[in-house]
Amino acid sequence: MTMPTEALAPAAIHDLGYRRYEGPRGGARMARRALFAQGLRALFGIGRPARAKAIPVLVLAVTLLPALGMLAAGSASRGQIPIRYADFISGQLILFALFGAAQAPELLCGDRQHRLLPLLLTRAMSQADYALVRWLAIWTALVLVALAPLLLLYVGEIGIARDPAATFRSMGTRIGPVLAHATLAAWVLAGLATLAATLTARRAYATALTIGTLLVLAAVAAGLEDLSGIPAALPELLDPIRALRTLAALLFDEPTRGMEVAPPPPIPVFVASLVAGGAAALGLAWTQLRRVVP
Amino acid sequence: MTIGDGITGLVGANGAGKSTFLKILLGLVTPTAGTATVFGHDVVAEREAIRALVGYMPEHDCLPPDQTAVAFVTFLARCSGLPARAARERTADVLRHVGLHEARHRLMGSYSTGMAQRVKLAQALVHDPRLLILDEPTNGLDPAGRDELLGLIVRTRVEFGMAVLVSSHLLGELERIADALVLIDGGRLVRAEGMAALTGETTTLVVEVDGDAEACADALRRRGVSVHRERSRLLVELPVASLAGAGAASEDAMAVHDAVRDAVVEAGVGLLRMERRRSQLADLFSTAS
Repeated sequence: MTMPTEALAPAAIHDLGYRRYEGPRGGARMARRALFAQGLRALFGIGRPARAKAIPVLVLAVTLLPALGMLAAGSASRGQIPIRYADFISGQLILFALFGAAQAPELLCGDRQHRLLPLLLTRAMSQADYALVRWLAIWTALVLVALAPLLLLYVGEIGIARDPAATFRSMGTRIGPVLAHATLAAWVLAGLATLAATLTARRAYATALTIGTLLVLAAVAAGLEDLSGIPAALPELLDPIRALRTLAALLFDEPTRGMEVAPPPPIPVFVASLVAGGAAALGLAWTQLRRVVP
Repeated sequence: MTIGDGITGLVGANGAGKSTFLKILLGLVTPTAGTATVFGHDVVAEREAIRALVGYMPEHDCLPPDQTAVAFVTFLARCSGLPARAARERTADVLRHVGLHEARHRLMGSYSTGMAQRVKLAQALVHDPRLLILDEPTNGLDPAGRDELLGLIVRTRVEFGMAVLVSSHLLGELERIADALVLIDGGRLVRAEGMAALTGETTTLVVEVDGDAEACADALRRRGVSVHRERSRLLVELPVASLAGAGAASEDAMAVHDAVRDAVVEAGVGLLRMERRRSQLADLFSTAS
């Protein structure tokens, strides 16, 4: 379908006239902010068709509703049912991974599929800007997704307590582990999802690559456990989802029976290896992103 | 080579290096040898300075189908550093200028090729550049859509006052809109000249006579003038230097004219027409290859 010709009539154009833009130009800083905001919106499907909202809505619903349920149960039993953060977050880590796996390609593969880079790179943006801002948006989105259920649980637990002030005094410091765990989980999962999305321009492949990598690492870690002569800490650290689970138990001081029998490595070891793992994935993704030819 | 103000056409066969040349100017590709400057800025060292002054419409599809034209163009305006409000206003402005006002809130996946080309033009205009670089803007358009888009390009030049560098493998459409032409082939510059020079006068004098053309040609040859027959017309070669058009060279050319006059009288034929042949743009390709 072509446009109606009257929309093109020269007379109409003459009447309106072309106006030059004499206003301010923000340069690279403005461009980075715009790219970040656009990326974050795209990751949550805001301003996109319903199909793009499916995974974000699903993940947020599936992670937030149980938190609400636990708070309701806790409230009904007047605090008799203890809220166990580590148990709660352990089951949800795979959903955060799913969010990253599905949504990071939405940005990075979409940009390449639709060949948006020549348009961006001929504006106030360098290739390094692009790579950094895209990754930052993915990380931020994952922090928000991973933080939301824990924060809801945390605020809710204080809120439903008979004496919120006293409860806050006793568990006010728990905000540290809440923030730390969400940030670390997002760091590792964003690194992995970004790397997968830079390796292929096909979204489905990138999603499968992220999930597949996590499954393979879990399988390898489980296999290593049966081998003798391998340090017990290695399988614990090799599987990022498992490492994040154990770290949650340690951070929230909710040890499982298995941990009492065979104590896991201390918290700093987990933090260091998760940071290193995420950094390695990010480093590889960075070289890939820098290589993208417009 | 210097590309001036106005609309400059970049012609070459597919694979001649048109897109690469444009990408070098845009700083997307680093040249392997040589230098280029845009508005006095070096394309390698001063990319940022150039990017604020240049709008680029790529050859390929670059429109995400799940976004509206408004959202997409506003986003790119902001990536050029425009504040949010200015970006929205400029987007509405340029989309109206390219004739997309009605469809601007539709998802771009539903657009026709013509509409997609307009959005691509709009995004190149949105930050009000001084130079517009258009890579094969009429690719894939039907003749009507082609005419409309060429009209838009002329308007960006005439009304918006932007310099335009437009590439195409179709000489005909550039002939219609361009003020100057750059011809490249196999990555090498063949010619770069103003349209007037390219379609200007040649050293061939076309003489049409009524009567025995062969007798007239013989009469000319006896006067030492080089003549070819082309059906009923005679093609008379003028001295090459006569193109410069002054002094002795000009007098030589006048002498040939006099010879034609005398030959016509001698052969007893009627002189219908005598004019310098103008070169055709299409000849460029035959002479280039």
